[in-house]
Amino acid sequence: MSVAIVGAGLTGLACAAELGADVRVEVLDRIPVTGGVHGWGATETRTLTARAVAAGAVLHLGVTATRWEEGELVGVGPEGVVRCAADALVIAGGCRPRTRAELGLAGPRPAGVVPAPAACHLAENGLPAGRRVCVIGGGDWAHRAAHELLAAGSDVTVVAPDGLHREMPERAATREDVVPTGVEGGLRVTALVAGEERIACDAVVLAHGLVPLRNVDGAVWEAPGVVFAQPIADPMTTTAAREAGVRAAADVRALLAARAAA
Amino acid sequence: MRARYDIVIIGGGVVGCAIARRLSFTTASVALLEAAHDVGEGASKGNTGIATCGADCTPGTLEAELVTRSSPGWEALCASLDTPWRRMGTLAVAISEEEEQGLAHVLDQARENGCAAELISGEAARALEPLVTPDARAAVHIPADGIIDSLRLTIGYAELAARNGVDVRTSTPVTGAVVRDGRIEAVETPHGRIETGFVVNAAGLGAAAISARAGGDEFRMWPRQGQYWLLDRELGRRFGKIVGGVPTHVTRGIYCVPTTNTSLLLGPTAVDGDLPGSRAVDAETLESVLAAAQRLVPSVRRELAIKTFASNRPASDPVYRVASDGSVPNLIHAAGIRSTGVSSSPATAERIHDLLAAAGAPVQDENPSAVSALEPVPRLLGHADPEALLRRDPRYGQVVCACEQVTAAEIAAACAMRLPPRSLDALRKRTRATGGRCQGSVCLAGVSFLFSVHAGLRPGEIAVSEPGATLGVGA
Repeated sequence: MSVAIVGAGLTGLACAAELGADVRVEVLDRIPVTGGVHGWGATETRTLTARAVAAGAVLHLGVTATRWEEGELVGVGPEGVVRCAADALVIAGGCRPRTRAELGLAGPRPAGVVPAPAACHLAENGLPAGRRVCVIGGGDWAHRAAHELLAAGSDVTVVAPDGLHREMPERAATREDVVPTGVEGGLRVTALVAGEERIACDAVVLAHGLVPLRNVDGAVWEAPGVVFAQPIADPMTTTAAREAGVRAAADVRALLAARAAA
Repeated sequence: MRARYDIVIIGGGVVGCAIARRLSFTTASVALLEAAHDVGEGASKGNTGIATCGADCTPGTLEAELVTRSSPGWEALCASLDTPWRRMGTLAVAISEEEEQGLAHVLDQARENGCAAELISGEAARALEPLVTPDARAAVHIPADGIIDSLRLTIGYAELAARNGVDVRTSTPVTGAVVRDGRIEAVETPHGRIETGFVVNAAGLGAAAISARAGGDEFRMWPRQGQYWLLDRELGRRFGKIVGGVPTHVTRGIYCVPTTNTSLLLGPTAVDGDLPGSRAVDAETLESVLAAAQRLVPSVRRELAIKTFASNRPASDPVYRVASDGSVPNLIHAAGIRSTGVSSSPATAERIHDLLAAAGAPVQDENPSAVSALEPVPRLLGHADPEALLRRDPRYGQVVCACEQVTAAEIAAACAMRLPPRSLDALRKRTRATGGRCQGSVCLAGVSFLFSVHAGLRPGEIAVSEPGATLGVGA
């Protein structure tokens, strides 16, 4: 029996560590390090990576899983095409904030409306999304985006549609229970609209709500042999991430047992 | 760039670009002037992506003639322009009794246009497309309708034209015309005056203003706004047919259109507005589109939304002014092409060529060095043999946009075009990068980095769309 796991964050690693001793396990991640959103330097990442490898799991890092069909996961990486024959597939690809369409923001499409993960990467590298930024959200991504943008010298207002789930950086202004409904602007965004109110800004960072990241064709929706391990928790703790991997391992065992019985 | 051309085409939408390609097969010197930073920035990038066979055109009109004449050639044309295309057919689905009565007209019209069409039962419609609502009473099946990537068609037309020597000048709006003795001698642009023997007016929504500047025919134009939803590929890939309602005299109605990259497009609405037109979406209109689409296909769900957007089609009175100007003899209009611009573009280009020839333009001789096809750039998404792609270019192993599975090889190929992308939007139009279900959440930073490297831009110079609409603020 063999299992393919997409995502080498804490959830995927915990799942691999649980299953590695019993079945052949291959773990793919699109970036060349383990740890996912918790980062490769986190203690938990190093512990779980070591456990997964010790259990015999094979890590394919820097390899993007592209499609799942008929018991085969196809991944593509700089070293070539990785084909994993697998009896079960675990999708542990983490979550992302909602898109503009998922948030239902009306209005035109000016520049400056940026998803939080991208806004964080860009700000870390010296390119803040704007000078007066509205960050929509109240959890981890909002916190990280606010932190990075403040560090890059921007003014930040955190607009939290369903309240703050964690403390925001001190220098960030906060507006709780304001529900954005649209954006205004020409070439560039000039305001975030919330009902009758307009909050002037030159960038809007989308950090609200969590949606599972699904980008393996054939395993985006429920499909035979596929287990989804993408806990939606904001803030996301290392414990919650790890426990989701342990639960997924149990689901995989049940799936493989049912298959063996059939 | 030269300062004089035999022919200047104003407007780099699908119509202007199709004309540029056609004229590139001649020895005439041609410039294509586009006001925006890229070709295909108007209605050509915001439409249903249906290449209709002409079944639903009003019989006897120029529109019907040009659309039906274009239809048989799509397979060969799209192959030559590296443009995704599939002749999948349309079901015009009737749910109410009144709609069912309307199908007779749909059928008659199709046959009058010389298009194959068949009246079938609701059950037969569901056999052809199981996603159609069980409430369907009957449908007309129009097998020759196709879906097309209208962005890549427009870019492909322009790219081939550029390979064959047409100067494609973007960010070059025409701000005036020099007219002497009733003929246009030159057009003015912010980059200087361009002398010309003939002008083709393919300026989309701006066509009436161009005609006015040249002292040509007066006509009225206005934007007809359409709003759309783009839904997930997981639903779109299940579609085998374009699904529409029963067209009325007012509008063709809301369609569910699988796109060539297997997303699903819902739309368009049709609301007349004032120039320059609005690209804003609003919740109420989008709800109406969703409801109309769900009525046809119940599995359409809001949760599958990738993107919503609006665009403006060039409505005019009268429509389809593909003709020489009434008073300026060296001005040829390709204007007022409201909603079938993609579908008629091959025959429209041919007609403009003939009108230019009749007006005395030097378009008779064949350009001996012209190529007739672009080298196709393979895409990883859905490719049957990824190993072969990686052998061809190891950069196919570097997936940059995970949702649409766009690789570094595809981005490099786009950036090496004669018409390279000058913005992230332009790159998305060529590759789909950042256009998938996460809308750049995962990949925008990486795509921007690769783009900046290829384009030689500092991070602060990376534009999302027009110059000035930068991704971020900084150096």
